[in-house]
Amino acid sequence: MKIVTLKQLVSMSLFALAVVLLPATSFAELPVPSHITPPVGEHVGEDVPQPIEFPHNRHVKDMKINCMYCHTYARRSKVAGIPPTSKCMGCHKMIATEKPRIQKLTEYWEKGESPRWKKVHDVPDYVHFTHEKHIKKFVFDADFPVEDVQQVCGLCHGEVREMTVAEKKKPLNMGFCQRCHEANGGPGDCWKCHK
Amino acid sequence: MSLKNILENFSYYRRDAEAGGHHEYEHRFAMAIDLDICTGCNACSTACYAENNLPVVGKERFEAGQAMHWLRVERYWDEIEGDYPEQGAKMIPMMCQQCGAATCEPVCPVAATYHTPDGLNAQVYNRCIGSRYCSNNCPFRVRYFNFWSYYEDSWPEPLRMQLNPDLSVRDKGVMEKCTFCIQRIRNAKDKSQREERPLVDGDIITACAQACPTDAIVFGDTMDPESRVSKAWAKHQIHRGPVTAKKQKADEEIRGYRVFDELNVDPSVMYLERVRDTEV
Ligand code: SF4
Ligand code: SF4
Repeated sequence: MKIVTLKQLVSMSLFALAVVLLPATSFAELPVPSHITPPVGEHVGEDVPQPIEFPHNRHVKDMKINCMYCHTYARRSKVAGIPPTSKCMGCHKMIATEKPRIQKLTEYWEKGESPRWKKVHDVPDYVHFTHEKHIKKFVFDADFPVEDVQQVCGLCHGEVREMTVAEKKKPLNMGFCQRCHEANGGPGDCWKCHK
Repeated sequence: MSLKNILENFSYYRRDAEAGGHHEYEHRFAMAIDLDICTGCNACSTACYAENNLPVVGKERFEAGQAMHWLRVERYWDEIEGDYPEQGAKMIPMMCQQCGAATCEPVCPVAATYHTPDGLNAQVYNRCIGSRYCSNNCPFRVRYFNFWSYYEDSWPEPLRMQLNPDLSVRDKGVMEKCTFCIQRIRNAKDKSQREERPLVDGDIITACAQACPTDAIVFGDTMDPESRVSKAWAKHQIHRGPVTAKKQKADEEIRGYRVFDELNVDPSVMYLERVRDTEV
């Protein structure tokens, strides 16, 4: 048996206390919707440099814009979709036009180009994830308030409202998906996702 | 599986093949192919190439038996009706028969091929380790192995723009075969769910059936008694499950048969025999 000294015990319990208290003091955790058993797993993704450092936190936390306002295809198709530049310009023709990032965006817009946004949450080509079905099951069919949809998105995308440029915070590997499918009654047939 | 479970659910585990065996089927997709109206034009095969990202391998690899045609139109001659110069060839489109009791499934060491609740014989590419046992155990020879990474030479720029994004491009070392266009099945099911209605006959059409100019290929669900394919199977007295006795086919109109039915693999494709009035 491993002998634990008093000193170790104290430092361990202090650490545990810190783990419990720290998130609560720094920022409030995103609540987990009660009708979902959340998928488990953490991941530290690589930095994905974007052409413009889009601040998710400004838009989601401060401005309270719904995820699906910009990622509008999430409820309609397999992919959530990266918003077209016209969507950004819809607001930013008028708002915050003096900021350097917005000026960069306006440059793109005037040239008729779109910024080459990089994909952050990428899964291999043999995995066919469908946003539409997950949103349908966990939001619309469950009568979950659409204004809180970030709680559902956050289960796989992490706390995007605390990020500037999106980062990959969840492993999105097969174990992560499969454990959640088992807990929430999702399909277990390989050909549902792989083909 | 505990003994208690077996005793309690004895009748379930003893279900015969006609009732679905040990599977809980949601659908049992099947085909009926009328060889009498098939002209052997190969449009089905071409459509399958386009739909399923099949590589064109080139002459040398074709000669080496490495072609990747999930659907091949075979020529054959009947002994009774005479051999080559006297008799013209007959054609038979041959693809994976999605057997109910598939011989490929039990030999896979990693369970990369298994039976789905749709009654299909699935092939999971990312699970496959390329042992090729399944292909050697298939009586129809309809499984194809990627001996090379074909994507580099099969789809040079800009041809790769034509690849179907709904399914993967397979790499070297992976077995593949006809899937009954699973991506189309999934899309049709998603659409019916979105519209909150059950899947009806005609929602799903496979690429080969869609391309066939003479409508020789009929695709559908045999669990739906109203589907075209169910009616064709019933009309030609073909039933699910093993063959119990030699069929009595007195009627000339009854032309249905399943290839290698005597092996009891329960194929999901029924062919209608070709009728010939005169010698060609
Ligand atoms: S059903 Fe689809 S995959 Fe199978 S042979 Fe026809 S086109 Fe090819
Ligand atoms: S497309 Fe139709 S007619 Fe042409 S070979 Fe295929 S099954 Fe026969």
